[in-house]
Amino acid sequence: MLEEALEHLVKGIVENPDEVQVRSRELRRGRILEVRVHPEDLGKVIGRGGRTARALRTVVTALGGRSVRVDLVDVDGVR
Amino acid sequence: MTEGTVAPVPSDEPKSAATVTDVLGHLEQEGEIAADYLEALLDIADLDGDIDMDVEGDRASVSIIGEAPGADRSLLRLVGQDGEVLEALQELTRLAVHRETGERSRLMLDIAGFRARKRAELAELGAQAAKEAKESGTPVKLRAMTPFERKVVHDAVAAAGLRSESEGEEPQRRVVVLPA
Repeated sequence: MLEEALEHLVKGIVENPDEVQVRSRELRRGRILEVRVHPEDLGKVIGRGGRTARALRTVVTALGGRSVRVDLVDVDGVR
Repeated sequence: MTEGTVAPVPSDEPKSAATVTDVLGHLEQEGEIAADYLEALLDIADLDGDIDMDVEGDRASVSIIGEAPGADRSLLRLVGQDGEVLEALQELTRLAVHRETGERSRLMLDIAGFRARKRAELAELGAQAAKEAKESGTPVKLRAMTPFERKVVHDAVAAAGLRSESEGEEPQRRVVVLPA
């Protein structure tokens, strides 16, 4: 549910929703949700002063608890 | 890709009426985009909630409320401590609206009546401060508040027939109620 929720939140705010990918990785100390977006959308999901990234993390934590981390992965054209 | 985007309405109607209709239509459209975005989130997170849309003054307003009395409890996760999650969701929702309309949105989101309750408390606080300023004849300084909170207090003071101003820098900016 958490990946899907994060994917939905990100898809709604970027210009290239088809290129949004969220991958969940289980670590010993919790989960990491890795978000990949089109390189041109990276600024959008980070936001001014990291504001949008913070908002995404806040909502994901509210839904999934404190052990979940959100990483924005900079793919920078590698795909 | 931009599904849900509505083409701009050609404005060959008489200007003032057309402008008012356009603004209202635009705010209603903001509400609909926001409602779609939030409804899908509720579905995914398996949270029950009804979504109300409205236009308040010059902004769209969207509220998520529990479907049955007392059913607001599960929605409180989306409010968070001091409305922290609510603010984050409002921010994301405004961005989702912006993506569709191309214009910055000032949409207000409320969840489980959090803002409505807060507004009532702050209005009461503003009325009390106005009374105090009137009786003492000296300015009354209130605690630091967010822009939303200050707006509610200013309105309450004005309703009580007094003037108020804000002083200080964010996030320490506060309302000062002036005696008549």
